[in-house]
Amino acid sequence: MESLYQVLRDCSWFAKLPDGLLFWISVLVPIGLIVAVYPAIFAYTTLIERKALGRIQNRIGPNRVGRWGILQPLADGAKLLTKEDIVPRAADRFVHGLAPVIAVIPSLLLFAVVPVGARLVPVDLNIGILFVFAISTGSVLALFMGGWASRNKFSLLGAMRAVAQVVSYEVPMVLAAVVVVMAAGSLSTVAIAEAQGGGILNISNWYVFRPWGFVGFVLFLIGAMAESARTPFDIPEAESEIIAGYHTEYSGFKFALFQLGEYLAAIAMAGITATMFLGGYNGPGSDLKYIGPVVGVFWFFAKLMSLIFVIIWIRGTWPRIRVDQLMGFAWKVLLPMSVVNIFAAAVYHFLNPKPLAWVVTAVGLLVAWVILSKVGAPNAIEKRVYRYAS
Amino acid sequence: MWECPSGHDRVTCRARKGAPTVAETMTYAFLILSVITLLGALLAVLLRNLVHCVLSLILFFLGVAGHYFLLRADFLAAVQILIYIGAVAVLILFAIMLTRNVTGTEGPREVFGMKWWSGGVIAAALAAGVLRAVINDPVSQAGSSAQANSSVAEIGKALVGHWVVPFEAMAVLLTAALIGAVVIALEEVMRRR
Amino acid sequence: MSLALGHYLALSAILFAIGLAGALTRRNAILVLIGIEIMFNAAILNLVAFWHFKWHAILTAQMFAIFAVTIAAAESAVGLALVIAIYRHYRSVDVDEMKALRG
Repeated sequence: MESLYQVLRDCSWFAKLPDGLLFWISVLVPIGLIVAVYPAIFAYTTLIERKALGRIQNRIGPNRVGRWGILQPLADGAKLLTKEDIVPRAADRFVHGLAPVIAVIPSLLLFAVVPVGARLVPVDLNIGILFVFAISTGSVLALFMGGWASRNKFSLLGAMRAVAQVVSYEVPMVLAAVVVVMAAGSLSTVAIAEAQGGGILNISNWYVFRPWGFVGFVLFLIGAMAESARTPFDIPEAESEIIAGYHTEYSGFKFALFQLGEYLAAIAMAGITATMFLGGYNGPGSDLKYIGPVVGVFWFFAKLMSLIFVIIWIRGTWPRIRVDQLMGFAWKVLLPMSVVNIFAAAVYHFLNPKPLAWVVTAVGLLVAWVILSKVGAPNAIEKRVYRYAS
Repeated sequence: MWECPSGHDRVTCRARKGAPTVAETMTYAFLILSVITLLGALLAVLLRNLVHCVLSLILFFLGVAGHYFLLRADFLAAVQILIYIGAVAVLILFAIMLTRNVTGTEGPREVFGMKWWSGGVIAAALAAGVLRAVINDPVSQAGSSAQANSSVAEIGKALVGHWVVPFEAMAVLLTAALIGAVVIALEEVMRRR
Repeated sequence: MSLALGHYLALSAILFAIGLAGALTRRNAILVLIGIEIMFNAAILNLVAFWHFKWHAILTAQMFAIFAVTIAAAESAVGLALVIAIYRHYRSVDVDEMKALRG
């Protein structure tokens, strides 16, 4: 981390150490923090998910293992680690073992460009958002390899469906991110977060409060949920669909790695969404002189946990989309909507009393949404016809 | 900004006695990345199992992307990962899946075709010729430049400024390739009669 | 030993030769396409090496490289579609079996 390196060099006690050692410290400390903090968030996300889903479904979630089930993630981890690792006899052992690893690595790499606070980002790449999309295409390979190496027809079908879903929803997601890049003028996540600072209470400049930003936020969140195969897009991994899709033949630690990769991808995408649309670390009090960065970190994690909670809430509330509706939704509704969003953002930028621009773009996007939802999704549910035995 | 205590430029300075210079670090990085790239390419053309070949091809693409990062072409490196690993490799995997032999064998029984050695001889001759030209030509001595840098903003402005015609032509080409690929690979339901 | 242009030219020549050997010798049509992709990447690496060492003030080489990557991707898509269509007709992807010009 660049700022950590500068701080270490300026601090008199550390400046006595050789330069190379300072460099390695400034690299290994963020890596250690990422590896410690985000999997811990993952572990407690699994617990929060089970408790929240339980409450939505009018039951209590796990509460046996610790008070309120706090030690449940440890119990789950211990269970998965001690399970027998079954590999099918005809499976390709090398690829079968490699697929879960390839599922986890892109998800961990995504955290390298998420700015947790002001100047607190592990790597400040000037191609930050492009890096995010390039790395998240790596997880597509893991899906395919997992399905192929299991030598199981159902795994293969599940893998094909999963790859088709992920690749289709990537396109509106990238186009929704393009709007933010246009507005901030840079691909770097740090620049995008900084461009949303200032304003009333550091809140009013967030991109989510502009019409194109709100539509972009919704599109990006839908794309992020489909990328990590969360309900309502969880055909690849739901138990009632095609056994368990691409991870049918995995048990024990490899299955735990697939879950880790999927949840970490969802958390990383929630972090990127918070950076791009919700202002990252900006919030009331984040520009104060000494305590500002700490307040910024608090605001970032608050936004991250709220987005994770929204994702869990949607999982508990909405039913699963059918596989034909899934593709139609992505290509016929979300993709044209994201293109219209780009036009709306350009109009907003050039139209000059800003309240007028706000109203014009809001009306335009609303009209586009109404037209697209009627035209693009004709598989609407017809009114139910009840037939009773007489 | 970083300055060298004894006044050298960034490439040749040693911050402390015994520390590697930037140029030496680049050489080590070049060697490691070249090993990865060569290994990926060799395994991609030598392995028997088709899916393993594609996996080593992915390793090759990663090595080339690493070389682009080393050559300070960041945007191109990200584009390489996005397009080649994200799209082309998945496409090749799908094609492998769709062209598997129905009876269950792994495809052509022998890995190399008839007279396999002639292809290797031709390739080796080509490599020898190019290497000889490279070693004897003075342009190969050109040293590393620390000022090579590419900014995405410049590339973006160039794409819609000076290079807008190739950009639009590329869009037409991609649309044509998309439609063409779909039409070629479409199930010929009508002609089966 | 400082890094010079010659190292990159040698590397890309060897990679091109490996790709050429793969495209010429393997029996499976998909492996021929893989060899072609390796050749493309070697050529673009060569171009970017020239850009870095000699012409880094001019943006042309970067543009050329970006367009070349895009064209290579489009070409591989069409090539693989052709392989799939041929498989449907011949029921095999062995290039040694596709000897007739008429189906």
